[in-house]
Amino acid sequence: MSYFRITLMRSGIGMPLKVQGVLKALGLRKRMTTVYYPVTPDVAGQIMRIKELVDVKEVDRPLTKQQIRSSRRPDPGYYIERRGAEALNKYEDV
Amino acid sequence: MFGPFRLTNPLSGGLLWKIPWRLSRHQKYRHRERLRRVDSTVATLSAALAKQGQTMKKVERWKVEMPTEQEMLPKDKYTVFDRKVKRYRKGIHKVPKWTRVSQRLNPPGF
Repeated sequence: MSYFRITLMRSGIGMPLKVQGVLKALGLRKRMTTVYYPVTPDVAGQIMRIKELVDVKEVDRPLTKQQIRSSRRPDPGYYIERRGAEALNKYEDV
Repeated sequence: MFGPFRLTNPLSGGLLWKIPWRLSRHQKYRHRERLRRVDSTVATLSAALAKQGQTMKKVERWKVEMPTEQEMLPKDKYTVFDRKVKRYRKGIHKVPKWTRVSQRLNPPGF
C-alpha cells in the first residue's frame, strides 16, 4: 500500500471555486501543509485538478503530524546526558 | 533626479501599472521550472497508479494531448494565442494567474 504525499506549495487564493473546494476537501488550508492519501484513482483525480499548486511524491507510509513537525525541527545543537529531576531524586535519597 | 521622491510616471499622479511586453530571462527560467514541476507531478501520478495496475482517463488524456516542457516550442512556452492582439500572440505573463494555470495548447490552425 503506497501513499501520495501532497504538499501545498502555491496558495489557492483567487483560483476558481472548484479548485479551492478540492484544496479544502484534501485538508490543504495553508501553504506548506502536508497530507497523506492512499494511491487511488479518485485521489489522483483530485490531484490532477490542483497539479499546478502542489508537490506530489509517492511514499510507502504516511507520517503523523508529530513526525512531520519533528522532522522539520532543526538540530538543537546539544544532547541531554541526564535529566535534572533524576539528579535531584538521587540527592533526596541520600 | 534620484532618491525616493524622484519624478516618475507612477508618482506624478494617477494609476499607472505597466506590464512589459516580453518576459525577462529570469521569468522565463522560472516559468520553465514550473512547467517541469507540473510534468513531474503528472508522471508521479501515472507511475503510482500503474504500480497498482490502474489507469485514469484524465491522466492518460493529459499525457496524450499535452506536450511536455522539452517538447514545447519556445513560442508556445512564452506566448499564448489572443484573437484581439496583432499577429495573434501575446506574452504568457499577460494571462491572469499565469504562474498557477496550465496553458500549453493553441487553437487549431494557430
